[in-house]
Parts: sequence; structure tokens; C-alpha cells
Amino acid sequence: MVKPIQKLVDELPTGGITVSALRALDFVVPGQWQNLVGFDNTIKAVTMEEDPALIQQIGERAIYLYNDESQGYQRAQWLYETVDSAASALGAAALANKVGENISFLGFLSNLTPKPEKAQSIDLSIKLVVEVVAFCQINGIPGDSIGDFVSALADYGGESLMRMAALVCFDGLIPLGPDFILKAGSTINNLNPSDLTNNPVFKSVSSLIPGGSPAGQLGFIGQSFDNVKGWMGDFVSSRNLTPEKVVNNLQNFVEISKDKLDYLGAFLDVTTNYYTHTGTQTLARRLIERAVAEI
Amino acid sequence: MNTAMFSPRWLKILVPLMLSMTLVVTACGSSSTKTTKTPDPYKSVQNNKVPAVAKQAVDGSKFNRFFPSAGDGYKTIPAQEKKGFAEYKLNKGTKTVAMFSISDTVSVPDAAAKFKGSTKKIGGYPAVETGKTATSVLVADRFQAKVLSRDASFTKSDREAWLKKFNLSGLANVK
Repeated sequence: MVKPIQKLVDELPTGGITVSALRALDFVVPGQWQNLVGFDNTIKAVTMEEDPALIQQIGERAIYLYNDESQGYQRAQWLYETVDSAASALGAAALANKVGENISFLGFLSNLTPKPEKAQSIDLSIKLVVEVVAFCQINGIPGDSIGDFVSALADYGGESLMRMAALVCFDGLIPLGPDFILKAGSTINNLNPSDLTNNPVFKSVSSLIPGGSPAGQLGFIGQSFDNVKGWMGDFVSSRNLTPEKVVNNLQNFVEISKDKLDYLGAFLDVTTNYYTHTGTQTLARRLIERAVAEI
Repeated sequence: MNTAMFSPRWLKILVPLMLSMTLVVTACGSSSTKTTKTPDPYKSVQNNKVPAVAKQAVDGSKFNRFFPSAGDGYKTIPAQEKKGFAEYKLNKGTKTVAMFSISDTVSVPDAAAKFKGSTKKIGGYPAVETGKTATSVLVADRFQAKVLSRDASFTKSDREAWLKKFNLSGLANVK
């Protein structure tokens, strides 16, 4: 049985490595993310309503919508959770009791293995594709044209924008360096379908990636990457983002040695589940917006 | 110990596992501090497996053309489109100030029932205020057009003014 949406939102953590790592990215998207947790709390924040009877009514409609599998919300949640590997979720849970302490990344170092550039590039592009697919599962394909759809994506804010900031920083800049878009782009262009089918992240979500066959899916992944690389490039350059700036901000909660950035990438991969965390928040928000409109 | 004998994947699984065992031990130790859980207010609906959207609901794409066009510093952005539902954001600059929606109440009969006895009309259709932030009209006894404030600056009279800009008579003809 799937976990009820109200439980997923109620149980979102208020601390731990994922939350600390995301807070460290506030300088990238200032004020966009407040780590909204709790189902009723989210209803109040989204709708600006206070009346308990009305909150209950909105909550009930949201639960009906979520529980109806044909509405796509459960698939979106599954995608967000699955793309954060099982190992990351475990790592995050294990370290959740370290809140407030300075986590010694160096103590962890001997247990970490940086991902090869190829695997990291595939991870990055698959997370992007998951974003697009989850968006469509949650929102449908709104509007009347492709232009409408692109404008909906461009209007990302709040936790969705924070998720993209984390993707750029934690899965791009840190493990692959400042020219990560170029590196990942050229890796993806030279992939064979078998590279994809051997990748654990791809394997876990491949059933929901459009394309029909691994070759077709590779085409879809390449196209999606091409479509968003301009946006990512602007995101990085307009904020003058560098790996160093990201590391400086992460240093507020984790001891990092700057010559070990590839290990830092592996550390963040194992210890955070930012797709699940912010994905649950995005889903709850959109679900609640629909529920309050429909009652 | 020779760590080379462990593949990276194994390590990735092993390390968190070992760490999580530590957590389990810690968590058990503190179980006496647990507080009593309040009952789940959503328990009754959670177990109800009724489809959320009726089969005969109109496709959301049919609603798009009845939303108001913006301008004058405002911009509308398509936000959601599902069977029986379509929604747009109203942005002023980069700030979302309101949400516009059209829904087919065939899936949510209570949504239509709330208009019974309504004496207020907007654009000639029965209108209802819900809570402090929503104003809606019922068109053709079936389609609900709603404007929801998402910023304190967007008032009740703004909601009513924007509702009049929907093509409500067009919406009345949707089959």
C-alpha cells in the first residue's frame, strides 16, 4: 500500500543533512525555500486560510486526488523517491540525529568512492528527465501549446527552484566542476544504450521514461538535456556560481577539504535525498492548489 | 583491511546500513520520551477508494480558452491541466497574486451544491465566497470558475473583477 500523502508531508524532517545542505543553497535562490512541513500546515500556507473545517475539506479532497492512482501523483512521488537512491535515503536517516553538530566529512572519507564522470553525467541527466516527467504527472501538460508548457517550467519558484539549484550545485558543479554542462553534454552525446541500461539510477526509473526502447530513451534524455542546458547555463552565470562558492556555504555545517570535491559529491549523494524532500513539497503544494479550486 | 575487495556499490550500501543500525539503537534508547499520537483526522477518507474524477468529466484542455487574458502588468501562466480541471497562475511581475481555475463539478457534487440558495450573482451566474480567499461562480449548473487570492494585495473585489473577465457564456456551452 502506498504511504498516505498526509503522512509523507507530516513526516518531512525539519533538520538533518538534506535540510542543512538545502539551507546552505539559500544564497543561490534567496528566500525561495522555507522548508514547509506538515500537511495541514502546508494547506494553510498555500491557501492563506485558517478555518479548521475548510482546511479539513481541502485536505480530504487532496487525499482523494492523491489516492486515485490514475491522477499521476503517486507516480510522481515514486519518481522523486526512486531517483534518490535507496542508499542515500538510508544515509540521510542514519545521520539525521547529527543535527546541530558539525559533521565531519573527513571521518567519512575512507568510506566514499567518487563516481566516475560518465556515471555522474548520466545521473545528472536522468534527474533532469525525472523532473520533466514528474512535472507532467503532477500538472498534466498545461496550456494550449509547447510555448505554454515552457513558460510553466520557466515559472519555477519555491521548493521546485530549490530542487533545481541543488541539482545544478550537488550533481553538476561539485562533482563535475565549473564546465559541468559541457562535460555532461558531451558524455551524453557519446553514450550507447547499454551505458544507460547498466546505470543503476536509469534502471530504477526506466519504466517511466518515454522513448519505448533504451535507444529511444537515450534520445529522449539527450533532447531533454539539450532543452534545459541553456536554462542551466543562465542559472549558473547569472549568479556567478562556482564550486568554491557552494563549498564555502556548505562549510557552515560540514567540514570539507577543498581538494576533495569529487568526494564531497559522493558524500552528498549518499547522505541527502533532496529530490524526495523537495519533490514531496512540490507535489503537496500542487495537489492542495487543485483541491481548494475543486471544492 | 583491504578496502579494494569492496566494490564502491557495496560500500555505498554497507556504510549507511551500519550507520542506520547505530540509529536504531539510539532510537530504541529514547522510546520512553515518545508522545501519544493524535488521531488522524483524515482516517475516514484515507480508506475510501472512490475515483477522484468522474468518467464523464470534461477534459481540462477544453477550458483553456475561457480564461481571461492578462496584460496591464499582469501575466497568466498555465499551471495545471487534468481531466475535469484547468488552472492558471496570475503573476504581477514575478509574484503570483492569484490562481484562476475552472473545474467540472460532476466529480465533486458538493462543489455545485454550495451554490444552492446563493443570492449573489457575478456576470449573471450564482456566486459564492469560500473562506477568506476564494470567490467562484457556477456556470450551466456544472462548471465552477474560481479565483483564489495568493497575496494579501489581491482583494475580494479584485477576485470579482477578474471573474467577470472569464468567458463565462462560452463556458456555459461546453459539452
